[in-house]
Amino acid sequence: MTEATHDLYKGYRGPCLEVMKRFGITVWCEVRAETTRGTFEGLLLPRSETSDDLHLVLKLGSGYNIGVRHDTVRSLEKIGYREAHYQIPEKEFPTDPVKPSVKLFGTGGTIASRLDYRTGAVIPAFSPGELYGSVPELAEICNLETEKLFGVFSENMGPEQYLRLAEEVGGAIREGYDGIVIGHGTDTMHHTAAALSFMVQRPPVPIVMVGSQRSSDRPSSDAARNLINACSTAASGPIAEVMVCMFGPTSDRYNLLHRGTRVRKMHSSYRSTFRTLGDIPLAMVQDGEITPLKHGYRPRRDDREVTVQAAFEERVTIAYYYPGMHPDMIDALVEKGYKGIVIAGTGLGHVNRRIYPALERAHAAGVHMYMTLQTLWGFVQMHVYETGREILQLGVVPLANMLPEVAYIKLGWALGVHPDEPDAVRELMTATIAGEMTEREPHDGYLIFQGGVPEVQEFLEKIWR
Amino acid sequence: MSQDLEPKQYGVRPPPELNPRTDPVLDFPDADYGELEPEDYRTLGFMSGLEVHQQLLTRSKLFCRCPAGRYVDEYDAEVLRHMRPTLSELGEYDGTALMEFKTRKEIVYQLERGSVCTYEMDDTPPFEIDGEAVRIAIEIAELLDLNLVSELHVMRKQYLDGSIPTGFQRTAMVGLTGTIPFRVPELGVNRELRIRQLSLEEDACREIADVGHYITFRTDRLGMPLTETVTEPDLANPLEVQAAGRLLARVVQATGKVRRGPGAARQDVNVSVAGGRRIEIKGVDNHRNLPRLVHVEAYRQLNLLRVRAELQNRGVDPEMLTVPETGLPWEVTPHAVDAASAVSPCEYAPIRDALEREEKVIGVRLPGFGGLLGHRTQPGVTFAREFADRIRVIACPVHRPFIIHSDLTDYGLDPRQWRALSKQLRVEQGDVMVVVWMPESDAATAVREIFIRAREALVGIPAETRQAFSDGTTGFERILPGPDRMYPDTDTPPVRIRDELVLEVREGLPETPWARESRYEALGLDPEPARRLAAAPWAELFDALAPAPGAPARRFADVLETRIPHHRRNGAIDYLPSAQRLDPLVRAVESGAIRPEAMERALDDLIDAPDRSVDKVLAPYRPGPDDDAELERAVADAAARAEALAGKPAEAVLRWAMGEVMPRFLGRVDPSRVRQRLIAALQLAGTEVAG
Ligand SMILES: [Zn+2]
Repeated sequence: MTEATHDLYKGYRGPCLEVMKRFGITVWCEVRAETTRGTFEGLLLPRSETSDDLHLVLKLGSGYNIGVRHDTVRSLEKIGYREAHYQIPEKEFPTDPVKPSVKLFGTGGTIASRLDYRTGAVIPAFSPGELYGSVPELAEICNLETEKLFGVFSENMGPEQYLRLAEEVGGAIREGYDGIVIGHGTDTMHHTAAALSFMVQRPPVPIVMVGSQRSSDRPSSDAARNLINACSTAASGPIAEVMVCMFGPTSDRYNLLHRGTRVRKMHSSYRSTFRTLGDIPLAMVQDGEITPLKHGYRPRRDDREVTVQAAFEERVTIAYYYPGMHPDMIDALVEKGYKGIVIAGTGLGHVNRRIYPALERAHAAGVHMYMTLQTLWGFVQMHVYETGREILQLGVVPLANMLPEVAYIKLGWALGVHPDEPDAVRELMTATIAGEMTEREPHDGYLIFQGGVPEVQEFLEKIWR
Repeated sequence: MSQDLEPKQYGVRPPPELNPRTDPVLDFPDADYGELEPEDYRTLGFMSGLEVHQQLLTRSKLFCRCPAGRYVDEYDAEVLRHMRPTLSELGEYDGTALMEFKTRKEIVYQLERGSVCTYEMDDTPPFEIDGEAVRIAIEIAELLDLNLVSELHVMRKQYLDGSIPTGFQRTAMVGLTGTIPFRVPELGVNRELRIRQLSLEEDACREIADVGHYITFRTDRLGMPLTETVTEPDLANPLEVQAAGRLLARVVQATGKVRRGPGAARQDVNVSVAGGRRIEIKGVDNHRNLPRLVHVEAYRQLNLLRVRAELQNRGVDPEMLTVPETGLPWEVTPHAVDAASAVSPCEYAPIRDALEREEKVIGVRLPGFGGLLGHRTQPGVTFAREFADRIRVIACPVHRPFIIHSDLTDYGLDPRQWRALSKQLRVEQGDVMVVVWMPESDAATAVREIFIRAREALVGIPAETRQAFSDGTTGFERILPGPDRMYPDTDTPPVRIRDELVLEVREGLPETPWARESRYEALGLDPEPARRLAAAPWAELFDALAPAPGAPARRFADVLETRIPHHRRNGAIDYLPSAQRLDPLVRAVESGAIRPEAMERALDDLIDAPDRSVDKVLAPYRPGPDDDAELERAVADAAARAEALAGKPAEAVLRWAMGEVMPRFLGRVDPSRVRQRLIAALQLAGTEVAG
């Protein structure tokens, strides 16, 4: 099918396409359909390509859509034509010379988005004008410039994008922006945050990652609030680190700023999905006001010096250990040329004896192996039990309380920076460069409440909303 | 009906908003509800349609597996949200959306673990649509003779008032374009009622409190499945609106799969008169209230049209009522002023307190509106309320009252203060002054709203939804939303309505109310009793006993109608007697074994003595071999005692004697025979009472 005909029948194929052609109907025609289930009138909409090929979609005058099955159709009569285009009202973003300037990089995801008829999908929308049209508050915070780097959803972000993003962020810092915001899908936001934390070293200004858990096409979306708080943080926040700025509680109250190497998405759909693990968050942000919580963050500087080390070795993996794991799982990785394995072990950092020989073989083959924890909270401690001591002997290096995903990103980066220097890799991995390991865990770094307990109940009723 | 029905509509155009008649009947006198005839409503161009919301009796909610119908007053936690207007599918901000955003509400949801999950609070995407609910909706659609869609498309209908945490209601169209018989013998109605559509949607939260910028909702009801049935605006007077509401309720209740009780069914009613436009009155949960509400709304529209005519007469035009879009209104237009100095010191407590709270007191001049703010628009309500309502809903002032106007001269401010203000506002003959007091940002919104509402007065009737009050009046709720607020739900796939499912539903379809009525008429009942029986809770009992056509059916219907409510009132039974217990009585009457006059008394006995066997209860009503002899003895005895009544009119003596003798022979002997025997024994033959 040519592009033009494809457009006339957007999304329709098989029997529906035949019906449309038989009656000379295309999408955006207003039609009267005589069917075995009665007469229907509506605007023929494009069909989602992932839906079946059996139904025509009509938009009724009342705004409802309905599906009409092809084999119920006796006739289709064209009674009008009305093509609809979805557009975000675009207004020019006002600039103010006294306001800080912020660069917003787009990677895809749902921070700002629009609906697509054909797929029913949410499509990113991004220019400063579009953003100003939907979140006018941004103009009170900063002068905003935007640049779309990729149009990929979160799950498609990977090493190639990390490298480009790191370079672009470095470039924008040197150009003199007062802060950087990166719009990102939430699923792998913490991976990208970790990558930037390692690749963009000692930035003088905030680098703030932001997304939304509810797409911005809905009234209850967290997108606008996240964006407003992220831009405030970037424009005038005191913390010059890579951070994730997302909802604190599920309520529309405040955002939290999480350090890029200690943050993790912890719920598939909650607004408050991002949590700092093993520590407290860096700060709270509410209505643009930033309240630091943690001491010892890297403060904002006036210089424009930044070191960008953009490199990544992709032959790195996470082996999520389970009790029945066979040694050939490890052997297969070695055979396929993997250069680094981050093990997510049980308890304090354990795997079963059965895979020791495989670990030994991997070590002999020069594969870098590091131990992290499935428990996510707590430290690897391989001296307490004999198993731990044995595993150490096999060349597996403990990584304290570094999160498994962070360790994966860091190992890929370290191997990328030092491809042929195993000792340098090891040295880099065991040194803390962006807060990825902490020397101590505060008592309130691990808080997972249990509902139903009276004291928690009281807390929920009075405070947490 | 004199009004011509429009040709069938199948849905490509949005429903008409304006009354097809553009000539308001301005000289029609104001009348209270109950004073007008159907003919008068026709003169006024009255049009009305219903939107009936009915909760379905399902185990679960529509898009999650929380239990449906669990109502609780306690809650475990609260969530706070805001709503931002977003873009509709076709790219325009919706009118309602913008208005709601102006209100900037803090919305609090109360959560109870047993009745809501993370879906309702919009922290988890929807689960599969509830199959039970879809099936019931199809059943109702079939009863309403609607054209079923082949595929349900779940849509998002925006609601920014906070009543749904997502900011939209998930809703799907099930069927369109049907007609049902609309027969109301007592109103002389015998025609068809056109049904526009039936959709399946989730219920919203229950509002707990709405004070200033805070609104609180309970979430237990949120997400319960309900159907919305929309009629065409075919209802020509208030009583027809009520009758149609009752008819639609009976249709859905025929399925036996809908919820009953308070709040389970709620109607929105659309009303317009000639020259007016569709106004939606929301959430009427009792059919009894419908007629007065629609009558009062018809009069509100008529009076707003009178106000418009007067404004046009005075040459007021919208240009005189505009305010620059940005800035504080009292700094950018001469029509609004900071009135603090003109009114201080103030004796009037509401303003004095506002000044103490350091709020703004703003004076507004509406050119040409003099005298009109006092114009009556509803019983006990003047045009000024239209302004006050708008401000209450949109600017959300916490303290009340918050508004006065100069049409009420001896109220609020003293004459000196009114004069000072009028000087400050450069008021001219024929103008009116409005004074509002509230915090600055609310006051700015309020003043803009005053001018918006004043401009709308020149157009006539603003498109809005109104809330019903118990006295039959209504208050502004929100701007009437357009179809633009609807867009596809990207979280749910289309749901196929397969032919097999439709056939299965059709096979198990309950009898419609009108089919039931026809069946009863075929049994020999007159139209009115037939309709009453079809609507009665004992209709099933009647059917189970299946009395023979003709006299037995009529008699039994009549007996049930008079006796069952009596027993219910007396608290003797809170349930209907079983068909099994009544069956011997009905059969005995049919066969002539018990005479029909005994039916009522025998039914009472069966109900009053539930522990006695049916045989024992009915025995006294069955004829026996000694009846004749016993009758003779009783007649003779009565005749003897009647001597004491000598001199009374023959009619009275006979009535007394019948009362003495007849009860003992009820069911056993024909009353006319008892009468004849008494006439003979009392030697009254030849008098007027014979026969
Ligand atoms: Zn639920």
